[in-house]
Parts: sequence; structure tokens; C-alpha cells
Amino acid sequence: MAGPERLRVVIVGGGTSGWMTAAALVRLLPRRVSLHLIESEAIGVIGVGEATLPHIRGFVEKLGIREADFMAWTRGTFKLGIEFRDWGKLGDSYIHPFGTFGRGKGEVDFHHYWTRLRAEGADVPPLEHFSYACMLARANRFDLPDADPDKLASTFGYAYQFDALLFAPYLRAIAEDLGARRTEGRVVEVLRDGRSGDIAAIRLEDGQVIEGDLFIDCSGFRSLLLGEALEEPFEDWNHWLPADRAVAMPCRTQTAVTPYTSAIAMPAGWRWRIPLQHRTGNGYVYASAFTSDEEAARALTHAVEGAPLADPRPLRFRAGRRRRSWSHNCIAIGLASGFLEPLESTSIYLVQQAITALIELFPEKQVSPVDRDEFNRLIDLEYDRIRDFLILHYHATTRDDTAFWNYVRTMTVPDSLSEKIELFRRAGRVVKYREGVFLDASWIAVYVGQGILPQGYDPRADQADGAVLMRGMQALQAEITSTVARVPEHLRYIDRYCAMAAAA
Amino acid sequence: MSGPRRVLVVGGGITGWSAAAALKRRVPLLDVTILPIAPSSDALADRIAATLPSILGFHDDLGIGLEDAVLRTGSAYRLGTRFHGWSGREDDYVHAYGPHGEAMGSAPFHLLWARAAEAGPVAPFDAFSAAAAMARAGRFVLPQGDGALAAHGFGLVLDLPRYVAMLGAFCRHVGVRVEPGALAGVERASDGGIAGVRRDDGSTLAADLYLDCTGPAARLHGQLAAPREDWRRWLPCDRLVLAPGAAAELPPCETVEAGTAGWRWTGAADRGEVLAEGAPSIDGETIKLAAGASLEPWRDNVIAIGDAAVAIEPLEWSNLHLAHSAIDRVIAMLPAGIPHPLERAEYNRQALAEARRVRDFVLLHYVTSRREGVFWQDVASTEPPESLAHTLRLFRERGRLPYYEEETFDRDSWLAVLFGQGVRPRRIDPLAEAVPLADTLQAMDTYRTHLAQAIGHLPTPAAFLAAQSRKLHERA
Repeated sequence: MAGPERLRVVIVGGGTSGWMTAAALVRLLPRRVSLHLIESEAIGVIGVGEATLPHIRGFVEKLGIREADFMAWTRGTFKLGIEFRDWGKLGDSYIHPFGTFGRGKGEVDFHHYWTRLRAEGADVPPLEHFSYACMLARANRFDLPDADPDKLASTFGYAYQFDALLFAPYLRAIAEDLGARRTEGRVVEVLRDGRSGDIAAIRLEDGQVIEGDLFIDCSGFRSLLLGEALEEPFEDWNHWLPADRAVAMPCRTQTAVTPYTSAIAMPAGWRWRIPLQHRTGNGYVYASAFTSDEEAARALTHAVEGAPLADPRPLRFRAGRRRRSWSHNCIAIGLASGFLEPLESTSIYLVQQAITALIELFPEKQVSPVDRDEFNRLIDLEYDRIRDFLILHYHATTRDDTAFWNYVRTMTVPDSLSEKIELFRRAGRVVKYREGVFLDASWIAVYVGQGILPQGYDPRADQADGAVLMRGMQALQAEITSTVARVPEHLRYIDRYCAMAAAA
Repeated sequence: MSGPRRVLVVGGGITGWSAAAALKRRVPLLDVTILPIAPSSDALADRIAATLPSILGFHDDLGIGLEDAVLRTGSAYRLGTRFHGWSGREDDYVHAYGPHGEAMGSAPFHLLWARAAEAGPVAPFDAFSAAAAMARAGRFVLPQGDGALAAHGFGLVLDLPRYVAMLGAFCRHVGVRVEPGALAGVERASDGGIAGVRRDDGSTLAADLYLDCTGPAARLHGQLAAPREDWRRWLPCDRLVLAPGAAAELPPCETVEAGTAGWRWTGAADRGEVLAEGAPSIDGETIKLAAGASLEPWRDNVIAIGDAAVAIEPLEWSNLHLAHSAIDRVIAMLPAGIPHPLERAEYNRQALAEARRVRDFVLLHYVTSRREGVFWQDVASTEPPESLAHTLRLFRERGRLPYYEEETFDRDSWLAVLFGQGVRPRRIDPLAEAVPLADTLQAMDTYRTHLAQAIGHLPTPAAFLAAQSRKLHERA
């Protein structure tokens, strides 16, 4: 059948973004693209241990990947949420779960009842005791969610923690199997059409010229096509998110292989801990205005739990994004389009959203401005909402023990965020979006976890009799405890489900 | 509870009684009083009999089932609206509620249909809606089983006097205080809000929060000089003629026919005409229309509900829906303490976003019309609001619909009207092309066959209602 002409799609850059995009395009638009990916082994891949959000499961499923196989290959572990330590104040710890608080059976959200009982002076345990996902995480246990919505074990989702350096090759095998072509080489020149300004071709170091209709920039921070060649301006968010460097260092796992990622506040930023099957990933994200590279490396080395498996590796970045992710016939995906620190594990999520939007708005040979503008609108929305959510973590603190924390605590935040905070503080109201990555429970977890407790609550929470409410809460807590106790330990579950090959 | 405790609802139409009933039923600790002054003639939410499916959710929250809402009040069911003569051709289409067709793989049905329609003649889009097929065949059944008739939507046609009486009884039952009388005046508070509402007997009713359900005159909220947004340049029809219904047989949906400078409808309980100019073709009561919305429906301690906040012609029967939605929003956002300007601002943001998208949906019928005549060419050539222009741009390019917050009409509704009015995407989406055309055509054929089989033996709407009533009486 004579279908429409195939588009020649050229992806510049392998790594997580490049191979995710390649695999998705050849899998979902097999008759529409002929795909060519250019990558250079001489250029390093950023991918540190990657923690993800539950949305990744949709991606894995769409690609027809078997979860257990993929997890074994990438030495993955399960993730029920993110633990934040020392954020609101030193000594604090809370979990942002991929799940709800309570069971969602009340007239209003659970945290309103919780706030009411506290306001009445009742001795109520912390909010996370009423989240099955949180308590499962705290107990280092894991099992897949129950499909029956009446079961307590249906009240959560999960994501993966995996080795990003193994994720890209895994996707590469899939993409190449489905017809993606790969060329090893370094791009030295971007050739543009004199009239339209579109990218016509790229020239590699060995002189090879590769022509294309659509160019996807997955070149990382360098933003080789969109930033360098097309000179798309960068919108800098450094004043709100001052962390601009990181140092990464994997180590042997000394403590538990937790079913959650940890983000531990540090003097000039925060430190991630991502436990995989074979090691633990660590890194310190910091603001160079507040600490030196040497000091940061020293602090990280001192903090990691086991023997280092590599030397500290430095990274530089800047929070913000390109004004447009799609310009002319060039679309940047991943770090080439922008960067938000991995505090809430949004890097791969943003790549995935860009891929989804690209597939839904996949262009013809002549790019339509309608598609391009809509793509840019969708990506902007994602960036803006994540940005506000990240700023909240820094700003909602009482810490004044370092210059860095003093700065973020007292800085001016976007109006869109200060209004959200005020609405929550007054009556526990979460500004609702139907689009956007973080839903109500995420905002509630971070607000409450960082000490923004509602002063009031939804008046409808007053309907229930106080004693009945209290008994209901105790019963829920007991049910959570007994259900958690029946779930296998995280590592045992992994051993059974998706253990990596012994000597891979 | 330290927030507002005493709420006064002013207005004795469906809007007022619904507000009082919902507030008291869902927040029993509130002290709810209603001053049920007679609804003004131009309060469309109180006067138009056809409602959207959302009324069922409103009833659910109150614990009112179909027996009370429909059978005991003499109401009827409706599946949607049949539009005649809008696209400029002779054919018509049905905007019915609920899903159309079935997705295949990653390709939603509407993209598959658009692709099939591009390749050759196919059955119209509404032929793949169970509700539309029933409406055309003059049949009705409630959603049932898990087959072709499992998921269609439906609204109600209210018998207005009996429905209001039912709500009144409900209010008294749940403990709403009813204070009869006429509205003689409004006493302003020194801080800008309202201090009390004066009755004709000289007494005053005071509250912490006032819900203005008095129709477009907004007899409380109108005192506060809140700014308004004018929509008349897009929706120029400025009067409505309303008359009692005259249908011989209970119709399964309304019929809306485009005229020289407006449109007229025939429904189960009423009929009417909406006009920008010229003489009406039916006899009835003339009501003035001025499309627009308040930018601050919640101002100080007064919240405008329904037509007091949004004035729009009843083309898609959204007036009462907007009132219900405002009531739900008030309940969801009742302040916990002294009301804060940010809480009002958030309420107003949501309310306005909702009103504008209803406006867009109503306007969609006009801007995509290809009728001859000065009126139709004028409305079709006026630059639409950016949100509607954005929707049309995306749809015309490749059949995509953008997502808007606070949207009333779902994708299926937008698609029914867009395709019904003859709007087609410029090109075929790659997702639809991933499915072979022959498979698509085969699946579409099978779907219609199943639908036809399922509908063939169904009762007429009148017979269905009669059978339901019989069962109710047998049980009683």
C-alpha cells in the first residue's frame, strides 16, 4: 500500500534520551519513519543511577518490554517513593509516596480528617502512617499492587531504580531490532537550508554527511542542534534553583536495598541515594556559589555508606530550559531541551512526555506550526509545574544553619507557588490540575513533610463523629501494619522476580 | 468550625433550591436559610427543562435516585440533541452523550473514523454512538450490561414545577430553614460585602455567606459592581422566545434547527426560539439575553450562582449545569476560617475557566456553520476567542483536541459537534495509519451491526418510562 512518505529522522546522541526516543519511534510509527541515530562512544553518557516515576511503566509496556526481563538486565529495583531527610529541619524524615493517604473512601481527602483530629488535640500519628506505600517502603518490603480497588494493596503505584548505563543499550537492542540504524561518529557541522533555516544535514568527523527531514537533539547539556546551531535561547532558573553542579560516586551497598530513593539535604544542596541490585548510586547536587568542588567531593565521600566503586565524577548544569524545545525541524529531548535537578526523579519523565507529545504531533515533511506550537505548549506546562514543585522543597524549610539554606528559605518564589502554599496552609486545599505530573497526594506529602501544616480543614470533615473517626483511623493503621507484615522483603521479591544474571 | 456558618440562599427557582439542598445535605453543620423569591423570567437555569447528564451526579451527591428525580416528578430521559441545518447542508447530526466507537491499538476511534472518511464514504460519526443511534431510532434504555449499551450517557427533561416542589420538600426534610417573603432591599456592610437582606415585611435576614440565585438581575451580587466580560460580539442573539412543548410523542432528544438569524428548538417539555433579529416564528414569552460572565462571581461575602454569574443561550442546555457546578465548587471550597482573598481568587479562576469553555462549545456551533445569510456569515467570520481558535487549529490540522482545565463537555461531545458540522482534519494522524484501513473498516462495520442488533428490540422512551413507573407502583 502506498502510504505517506517516510520521514528521515536523525537523532543526534545516544544515551537514555536518544535510545528511548529511537525505540519508541520505530516501535509506534514503524511505517512512518526511517530512523538513524548518531552517537559517539568518545562522548560520555551522563546517566548516573536513575530513579524514575511510575509513568515509566506505561512506556515499558508500550514498547512491549517484559518488566522482569528489563529489570534483570538493568539491575533494577522497585521504587515506592522518595524519602526526604533533613529538609524541613535537621532530623526530619518523610516519604513522598507513589500512593494515597487513607483509602479515599471519605467525603473529603484523608488529610482533612487527620488535620481535624489534630486540631481537636487528639494524639494522632504522623500522616505517613496512613499511607500503605509509605509503610511498605519503611518496612523494606515490596509486592505488586492489587488490581482490586477495594483492597488496601491497590492504593499505590511504583517505579524503578535502575542503572541508566545499562538502560540505553537495552533500548538500543530493541530499536536496532526494529530497523533503527546507528552510526558511530561525532558531529562537527550542522548544515542549514539557506532559505528556511531548517537543518538540512549534519557532517560527521569522518566527512560523512547525513541528511534528514527531522532532527532530534539528544546531545545532552551541549544542545548541539537546538542550542548551538539554531541558537534557541536558554531561560535560566538559577535564582530559584541555585544548584548547578553535582558529584557522583557509586558504592557498595552497606545497608538495605530500599524500595525507595533517598534525597538527603546537605549543607549546600542535597544528596541522592539510589540502591540498585549490585550497588548503590550516590551523588551530591550542590550550588557552586555556596561550596567548592573539593568540599563537595569530600562531603560525598564522607557520607556514602560503603566502599566507593569509582572516583567522584563531577557534573555541571544549569536549571532552566530552552525557550522552545521544537524550533524549525529540530526537536530537543532530554537535557538538550532543559534541566531540572533530579530531586523528584523527573528527568526520564520529561523525556517520556516529550516522546509522547512528539508521537501524537508527529509532523509531515513540512513541519506545521500548529504541531510545533502545541508541542512547545505541552512541554512548557510540564517544566513549569515541576519547577514549582521542586522550589517548594527548598523553600518550605526552617533551616538556617548554612548560607545556602538561608538563601533558599528567604528567596522570592514564583507567585504561582506562593499562592498554592497559602491555599494549603489555610485549609489544606491542593490546587488541582488534570494535567501535570504530581497529583494531590504528592503535594500533600511534601507540604506536611516539610512542616506546612494546614491551619484549617474542609468543613465537611466535621460531619463524622470524632470518636468514630478516631476508631476508623486506628483500624486503618492496624490494617496497614498487618497487611505490610504479609508482604515479602524487597530483596527477596527481586530475587524471585527479576534477579540479575550472576556474572553479567 | 470557624468558617462561615450561616448561609443565606436567595432565589426560589431550581438554582436556589438546589443550592440550599446541597449545602445542607453535604455540610450538615451549616445553618442554611433560603429566601425563595419567585425566579425571574430570564433565569434560564430555572426555566429550561432539558438538562445535561451531570444532573445525575448532582443528585447522587444528595442521595436522590432516579425514582425520586424522574418517576415521582414526571420527568423524562433525553439522549442528546439533534441539530438540523447547522452545517449549511440538509443533513443533520446528533450530539448524544457517551462514547463513539472503539479504539484500536494506540489509535483512538475518532482518528480511525477520520481516516476512513478520507478514504471513501462511511457512516456518519454519530452512527457509532449508542445514544445517537437510539435517539434516531426513537428508543431508550438505561445503560446496561457490558455490550453496546453499557456506557451511553443521558440527561433529564424536568417537569419544572414538580421538580421544584420535590427539591423544596427535600430541603425541609434535611433542615433548611425556609423564610418566605419578597426581597425589598440589600444592606451593605462597611467592609464592602452584604450585611443583610431586607424582606418586604421590614425584617432582615443576615448571614456569613450569601448565595445569589436570582438570575441575570443578580439582585445581591449586582450591588457589588463586580466586573463582567461581554460575549455578545461572539454570541449576538439577544432574545429568546419560550413556549410550552407540543410534542405528540415523547421525543428521545431535543431537535435544534438553525434559522435565518438564530435557531429554534423542540423538546419534550418546552420549545423556543433564540434570535438576533427579525420576528420570531413561534408565540411565547420573550426573554432578553446578553451573553457574558462575571469576572468575580465570588466577591466579598456574596457568590453569584447560575445565571447570576454566567448568561448564555441554552443551545447545549448548560445553564443548570453551570449552576450545579458552582454549587459543588462552593461546597468544595468553603473556607475553613475567615475567607481569604486567595480562596475567592481560586474559586473565580476555576469558575471563569469553566464558563469560558462552555462559551467556546456553544460558539463552536456558530463558527463552524456554513449557512448562507448575513447573520451566519457574520458570526462565522468573527475571530473566536483564543481558546476556541486553539482548539479549532489543532483539530483542523490532525484531529487532535487540546486539554483544558474545568472543561464541561468531554472529548466525545466536542467530536460529535465538530464532525457533525462537517469539520475534518487536514491530514491523517500517523497513529490511525498504523492500523490497516481494511481492519478499520471491518471493525467499524461490526460495531454498527452490534449496535443495530442491540437497539432493534428496545422500547420507545414513553414505553420505557411507563414500564419503570409500573414497576415502582407494584413495589409500593
